[in-house]
Amino acid sequence: MTTTSAPSDDPRIELDRDLGVFEPVPPYPPRTEREAEFYTLGDGQMFINVGPQHPSTHGVLRVVLKIDGEKVVDLDPVLGYLHRGVEKLCENADYHQAICYTDPLEYVSSLFTEWSPVIAFEKLMDVQVPRRAEYIRVLSSELNRIASHALFLGWMALDLGGLTPILWSFIERDEIVDMLAALTGQRMLFNYFRIGGVNGDLNHEFMSRLGDWMSRAAEQIEAGNGLLNENEIFVRRMRGLGTIDAKTALRMVMTGPNLRASGVPFDVRRAHPYSVFPELEFDIPTRSEGDCLARYLLRMDEIKQSLRIIDQCLHQMPDGPVMAKLPRLMRPRPGRAYAAIEGPRGQLSTYAISDGTDQPFRMRIHDPSFIHLQSVGLMMPGHLIADTMAVMASLDPIMGGVDK
Amino acid sequence: MTVISRSWSRLTLPGKVIFTVIPILIALTAALVVVIVVLGQPILDALAANLPIVRFALAATIVLLMTIPTAFIVGYMELKGIAFMNLRIGPDRVGPYGTLMSVFHGLKMLMKEDFTPSGADPLVFTWAPVIVYLASVMTLLVIPFGPGLFGQDLNLGLLYFFAIGGLSVVGMLMAGWASFNKYSLLGGLRAAAQVISYEIPLTLSVVGLILLAGTMSLNQIVLNQSGWFTDWYVFRQPLGVVIFFIAATAEANRTPFDLTEADSEIVAGYATEYSGMRFGFFYFAEFVNVFIISALTVTLFFGGWNAPFPWPWPVTLSLDPGGLGIGLLLLVAIVPLLLTIVFAIPFWIASSRIKTWQALVAGFVLANLFLIGLVGAGAYIAFDWVAGVAWFLLKSYVFVFLLVWMRGTLPRVRVDQLMDFAWKWLLPASLLNLFVTAAAIVVVSQ
Repeated sequence: MTTTSAPSDDPRIELDRDLGVFEPVPPYPPRTEREAEFYTLGDGQMFINVGPQHPSTHGVLRVVLKIDGEKVVDLDPVLGYLHRGVEKLCENADYHQAICYTDPLEYVSSLFTEWSPVIAFEKLMDVQVPRRAEYIRVLSSELNRIASHALFLGWMALDLGGLTPILWSFIERDEIVDMLAALTGQRMLFNYFRIGGVNGDLNHEFMSRLGDWMSRAAEQIEAGNGLLNENEIFVRRMRGLGTIDAKTALRMVMTGPNLRASGVPFDVRRAHPYSVFPELEFDIPTRSEGDCLARYLLRMDEIKQSLRIIDQCLHQMPDGPVMAKLPRLMRPRPGRAYAAIEGPRGQLSTYAISDGTDQPFRMRIHDPSFIHLQSVGLMMPGHLIADTMAVMASLDPIMGGVDK
Repeated sequence: MTVISRSWSRLTLPGKVIFTVIPILIALTAALVVVIVVLGQPILDALAANLPIVRFALAATIVLLMTIPTAFIVGYMELKGIAFMNLRIGPDRVGPYGTLMSVFHGLKMLMKEDFTPSGADPLVFTWAPVIVYLASVMTLLVIPFGPGLFGQDLNLGLLYFFAIGGLSVVGMLMAGWASFNKYSLLGGLRAAAQVISYEIPLTLSVVGLILLAGTMSLNQIVLNQSGWFTDWYVFRQPLGVVIFFIAATAEANRTPFDLTEADSEIVAGYATEYSGMRFGFFYFAEFVNVFIISALTVTLFFGGWNAPFPWPWPVTLSLDPGGLGIGLLLLVAIVPLLLTIVFAIPFWIASSRIKTWQALVAGFVLANLFLIGLVGAGAYIAFDWVAGVAWFLLKSYVFVFLLVWMRGTLPRVRVDQLMDFAWKWLLPASLLNLFVTAAAIVVVSQ
């Protein structure tokens, strides 16, 4: 045997013997950061790569699990597979165009991602929105919230291995999306909200579809939930899983249903009211357990509150214009504006800086999905591989929003 | 000559193989015919002398062939049943109501690339699906499909069933290990843990039944249950049948115990790296397993091929067509015509808008259905194996539907819950069942 002259810990030498394919740790010092992780492996542990192409990661999330048998020891979400640079795109478009770039952020609840930049821009420009437009915004966005939560239910069940609820909840979503298509012209990326109002008034088709749906919505949703709520396997798997207490949830900057499931009654619609929410009556459901079941049940309660809001909107809707009178080319004074709204996943906010041109100088979008994903690492250790999917599903991240 | 060589060189490799094989096959067939013609009588004598062996070989072949339509029917039931529960339409393109869907699934698998990952152990990787498939198919040999219709009436039939059925875990472990994939490895190990754990309550749940029946021969167990449906063992072993069915569901890796191929967790478990017909064998084995556990549940607890009620009066069909003479010809010629017209008359009368030929077509169809029903009823009465197979398949497919229903409704359990359920609930319950049964037998016999 000849000995090599280079020191044995030199990362550049290629070992002359074949690497055993079953050795989890390469027999040379780490060359990259990712490779360095392998040296943290304990005895009997291994890494398993879930995603970015995996049946249950809600798009292109990649999660590197360090597992010990079936038990998850550590977890590392790897992001960026859907990065499109939305914020930068918005900075190179004028204020009207920027709105449609924000649409595909949370592609199952696009009206909300439009709404927060719209409010921010309105603040920059001191625009007074007609009251009818505000009511239409609330009405359509609450419909969208129901669609989003219905889809959450289906995905959650699918990640737990239930085949049926996803198709049942798609019935709900299809009905809502069809009526929103009648209102906005699009099924998914609506591009409906405008600076100073909305794109069009309520029309006959939308109203007739809505009236038809409202008459049976509550029972229909209840019937769909029955498949999961009364299912012993489902409840047993979800209860006590991924528990996060109120203090930790606040420290991890959680918002929305995930925070309220931990017992903090924080809802932007009440805490920092915007639009016409002060005039509407609704409760903020909270639960104290903070586990996956609480997150699921809380969203189902929210659907009921959304139905209440829609009902009130229909009764209180004033007459009038749906669009403020505005110049075609808008150059707001230099300044900065911040707007936060309550999306179906939590606080969705936009921070926009104007430098006096017709394009935002800087636009920062705060997306709740991204914030929520960081707490997966806190919840997971000690649980099983199957629970990873359940916990991630219960946080309801949308990868379009996470990667922006 | 140049034409032939040019054509030959233009053929693809499969074409060349087929062109070589077909003449050989034709020659072999001709040789076989010659051999049969020349040596016919000695062969027949040899066959007759070794009747048990011939019977066994025939039964094995039939059972192997039977898995194909069974898998197709179960697969179609699953596609259509889950679609029905999902409020979808399901397959409706190939064949009437999509009935040929499973056939086309099979064809698709045959045509796909048979891929082996580079790190895999090719030998183990190839044989794993074969073992999984054979383990499930071989269990069919002892199941009595009708009176006298079984592969082999083993004294230890039930034990054979569990022993061979448990072999499938070897194939799954082989697939999980040889695939060189972490998902596969997890799936294989999950399969090992699950199948071995559920083997125990599965076996213990039928010990009470064995005590009652006094035999482990499946054929004898079915014969013990003949008579009214109250004689079925389900009424004497109600806890046993529940434990048995749950444990058998877990053995066959069906929802809610399909952790080995949990698609939302470990992609496809031990079958992740498989494609083509090798995956097809896993697929096949799963569907056949569904039928097998239904069939075994029926055999053990629901009377097997026995009808739920005995035929109230003895029927003997004595048909001597030869005795009718020329009347037979008239019967065959006239009765269909007459029936067609008889069935057409109501349509013709019912509405003046129905044209005569339309009424006749409807009458023809109805007459055919009537005759088929008549023949079926006659066969049911005349041959007890027809009745037996009919009842057996009917009962089995009820349980197949139950399994499909469970798949459409239930989410998946977690690994630790799965193990807890086996060891903390099913095992004590099956021991309790055994204890109560044994005590009852002792009390009654004294």
